[in-house]
Amino acid sequence: MSSFLRQHAEQVFAQELEELGKQDSGKRPANWKLSPQSVVTYLVGGKLGNGFEITPKYIGNRRLMEIAVATLTTDRALLLYGLPGTAKSWVSEHLAAAISGDSTLIVQGTAGTSEESIRYGWNYARLLADGPSEKALVETPVARGMKAGQIVRIEELTRIGADVQDALITILSEKSLPIPELNMQIQAIRGFNIIATANNRDKGVNELSSALKRRFNTVILPVPESIEEEIEIVRQRVESFGKAMELPAEAPPLKEIRRIVTIFRELRSGVTMDGKTKVKSPTGTLSTAEAISVMNNGLSMAAYFGDGAMKANDLAAGIIGAIIKDPVQDKLVWQEYLETVVKPRDEWKDVYRACRDLGI
Amino acid sequence: MSVHILGIRHHGPGSAKNVKAYLEKLRPDIILVEGPPEADSILPWVGDAGLQPPVAILCYQPTDPQDSSFYPFAEFSPEWQAILFANEHKIPVRFIDLPVSNKMAEKGKDQSETGNQSGEKTHQETAEPHNKDDNKATVTDNLIDKDGSETISHELSNGDENNTPANNLVETIKEELATDPPPVEEVRRDPISWLAEAAGYTDAEKWWDQMFEHRQGDEEVFIAINEAMAALRETLPQTPDRIEDLREAHMRKMIRDAQKEMYTEIAVICGAWHAPALTNMPKAKEDNDLLKGLAKVKVDCTWVPWTYDRLSFFSGYGAGILSPGWYHHLWNQPADDGTLWMSSVARLFRSKGMDTSVAHVIEAVRLAETLSALRGMPKSGLDELNEATLSVLCNGEPMMMSLVNHELIVSDRIGAVPESIPKPPLQLDIEKTQKRLRLPVTADWKDLLLDLRKETDLEKSIFLHRLRLLGINWGQQTHVSGKGTFKEQWRLQWSPDYSIRIIELGTYGNTTVEAATRFVTEKASASTLLSEVSELLALTIPSELPDAVTTMIERINNLAAASGDVIQLMEVIPGLVSITRYGNVRKTDAELVSDIAESMITRICISLPPSCTGIDDDSASRIVELIQQLNNSVDLLQIDSLRVSWLDTLGVITNSRGSSPVISGYTTRLLADQKIISADEQVRLFHYSMSAASGPSITAAWLEGFLKGTGTLLVVDDALRAVVDDWVKGLLAKEFEEVLPLLRRTFANFTQPERRKIGEKIRSGNRPAAVQQQTEIDEQRAMLGVPVIFELFGLKTS
Repeated sequence: MSSFLRQHAEQVFAQELEELGKQDSGKRPANWKLSPQSVVTYLVGGKLGNGFEITPKYIGNRRLMEIAVATLTTDRALLLYGLPGTAKSWVSEHLAAAISGDSTLIVQGTAGTSEESIRYGWNYARLLADGPSEKALVETPVARGMKAGQIVRIEELTRIGADVQDALITILSEKSLPIPELNMQIQAIRGFNIIATANNRDKGVNELSSALKRRFNTVILPVPESIEEEIEIVRQRVESFGKAMELPAEAPPLKEIRRIVTIFRELRSGVTMDGKTKVKSPTGTLSTAEAISVMNNGLSMAAYFGDGAMKANDLAAGIIGAIIKDPVQDKLVWQEYLETVVKPRDEWKDVYRACRDLGI
Repeated sequence: MSVHILGIRHHGPGSAKNVKAYLEKLRPDIILVEGPPEADSILPWVGDAGLQPPVAILCYQPTDPQDSSFYPFAEFSPEWQAILFANEHKIPVRFIDLPVSNKMAEKGKDQSETGNQSGEKTHQETAEPHNKDDNKATVTDNLIDKDGSETISHELSNGDENNTPANNLVETIKEELATDPPPVEEVRRDPISWLAEAAGYTDAEKWWDQMFEHRQGDEEVFIAINEAMAALRETLPQTPDRIEDLREAHMRKMIRDAQKEMYTEIAVICGAWHAPALTNMPKAKEDNDLLKGLAKVKVDCTWVPWTYDRLSFFSGYGAGILSPGWYHHLWNQPADDGTLWMSSVARLFRSKGMDTSVAHVIEAVRLAETLSALRGMPKSGLDELNEATLSVLCNGEPMMMSLVNHELIVSDRIGAVPESIPKPPLQLDIEKTQKRLRLPVTADWKDLLLDLRKETDLEKSIFLHRLRLLGINWGQQTHVSGKGTFKEQWRLQWSPDYSIRIIELGTYGNTTVEAATRFVTEKASASTLLSEVSELLALTIPSELPDAVTTMIERINNLAAASGDVIQLMEVIPGLVSITRYGNVRKTDAELVSDIAESMITRICISLPPSCTGIDDDSASRIVELIQQLNNSVDLLQIDSLRVSWLDTLGVITNSRGSSPVISGYTTRLLADQKIISADEQVRLFHYSMSAASGPSITAAWLEGFLKGTGTLLVVDDALRAVVDDWVKGLLAKEFEEVLPLLRRTFANFTQPERRKIGEKIRSGNRPAAVQQQTEIDEQRAMLGVPVIFELFGLKTS
């Protein structure tokens, strides 16, 4: 067990990637570690010819992953779009790990992301001492990816200011990064491409310009279709979290996962699972990712403050924290849900009591 | 001398291509096609420039047109291509299926014996136009259409990259079936799915599309089909099906006949499921015995236009396909790598105002190609193209995809039938009128706004009304925005079902007018309900059928005379009166109607007062409603004599002690509204009715009737409010408790502002509010409105 808090995808799944590489007979695009078929298998899971089991990283529609991988083999960039917590960054990390064997070329988009962090910057000490030269250049992950022919990830593309976003246009269409100061350019090696993620829920984001938009193929990652799919995602991620954190707690029972996922799905869709009762939706997105973190939280609670087995009161605080984002509106929504939906459910008495006890 | 059995899939462009190629190579001297032999006589039309697919052969019993079957054909149907080939090369072509005449008769027998037979397996649709709820024909054949199965095996022999000899796959299937014997119920599922499953696909349709439609075929395909089907037929347990056996026997018989006529190269086009049954011929005698003594009915055939929408699976058509528009594209552009398709998608998006550049199209085609390469397919299929469209052209938003699905994948193509094809006279008349009025038949809906003051628009409206009367709901009248009775909004959408309906109506007459007149007249004569006839009359008036109107008026008159039920009479009046209003715009003689309305109102005036006595609360409030409507109608008619006698009647009810209190309360109000009774009289009547002697429940009921509908009266009329107020003040505590629920009920019907106003007034001690009135008129501004008013009344400004 390494001492890192979190390992990169290519480190955690190194063995899977290796086996896939060995078994891979498909044609690999230049500088790809795996063939496109194997990349898809890596993402959605499957059994290899020698019986080696690949765990699914993305649970959902296989066709979406095929579109994503196919896009990366063309010269178009990939834009993963969707609600917060629909595994956009997760998919992008694994795509980069499988294709380039490296998921660390990453630019985090924020309102303060400047052009220097996308194109290149200068080492001013050196610039003053020697004048403009290649040595005075500070390369960004984008520039490094272009030189090495690797996949570069840009997180939260729509948070970057519109003027800075457009710096990507030349990179994506000409596949080169001009450096006019030195009268030179960095030309991308085959295998270079960009995976950007963006969410469509937040307000105040910078819409992509149409010029930039048409250099991306868009794949919308949906919220999990069925409750079973969602439960599976939560279960898998929570188990791996328990392992990584070396928690002494038992793996959470499926019953608890099902309850959390049910609460989240019901509040998200505005109707109970049997379709009979209408419920109000809170302001938060209540994504699968949040369900996972509630479970993780509960697991830690059970491990350090409880008896190691996860119970309803280990989860209550997490649930409330995830749901009540707006202290006034969401509180009413939650109370109504608690009293009208949770209370009448006989086998949910413990959840009801635990949440009531917290007094919110 | 040889027989070539070509097993096909109905409406499969791949099958059609293979059939065409095979026939061109073989040069047969006769072609036999699975289809109704009765339609042989109309086969020469195939190839006529006027007959444009999608079309269908309609087989119907002239005596009982409801019992009818359709055999749809698209340009890409293998059968259509085979017939076309025969006609182009001047070789005989025959349909060899069991005649519809036998099938209908036998099915009738079967149904009466064994209940509904669900195993009908042709690509025919059996329509029951009498299904009123929607105009879709009921389809009796089901999804397990065994003919659908033929599809499968084409792929078998095609050995480009996955070089699977047919036998191998057949073996696989056999093994699969052997290891996992299907339960008997499950056998009814589409046999193609067994083959698809063996090949590792979940969706049979998809498998077929991917494995076959996008491939270049060869002739051995048909041998492979035969083998695969034989294997399936051997392995799958089958439930015996008499009609099915009869059909195959008849097909064999027809093949033998052709052989006897010394044709040497016989090509047989049939659903793949039947192919093995036609290859291994049993003795002729067995078949002849089976076919002996079949029941028979008389059947006529004609071509009718069909639509791609009806050809699609979604319309409930058993042998339907998911994507007729896509197949159409595949057939017409077999070499397209997706570029042409994407261009049409882009054109569609542009026409809807969505910017779509050529670069978009290029990228989408590339993505589709990469996707199909990733999935190991030689050519992009519809799925890949759709996914590329979604990802590149729509930026991931699925909304626009429904447009693509509707306009391109299914497409709203509608076929055409030449005028010279013998058709029922009524159909001809309707077509002629459609042409004259420039109302083209479309599969997609189209909105039409008619201004009835214009001659042609009026004619269109009359025509549409007549069709609707006949049960051909081609035009749906929708709510028109704006005011005025001279505008009509229609939504037109043709459905192939109307063809049967028209044939069915043929017995009523040869023209629309004739048929509609006789149809409604018969309907009216058969009805004994006054309301039904008057409703029919309301529909008939705008259809301008003077003869029918006359008969219906008579009928209404007779029914009214015979009817002792005043409520029934009252229900009819509002409808009749609104007809007379229409009369002016439509230039119909509304006199007739107003006459009858008058005589009916007179009857009502006589018998209404006794009907108001001794009735329960529910009927009392029903009568109050009717009195309200009738009062409006009388106001509308504006006939003085009628008004006088109506008000007299109201007076009688008001003053009669026996009248139900709700009713007499309401009539008092009406009379006060009309200023028939003076304000003082009103106050007197109120106090009289509200006197404590009557008992609180009666007085409250009277008040409910009196205040019905509006509380404004109480707000505005100070004297009246004072009367009510005094009455309430005068109640003893116990009495008040008793009437409170009833009072609440009355006041609950008032609007919120009214209640608030009343409350405010009473609190402020009944001080009259100052009313501001603007009396000054700005003439210049008023003049601006004059032309608009002229326009509204249809007058010409000079």
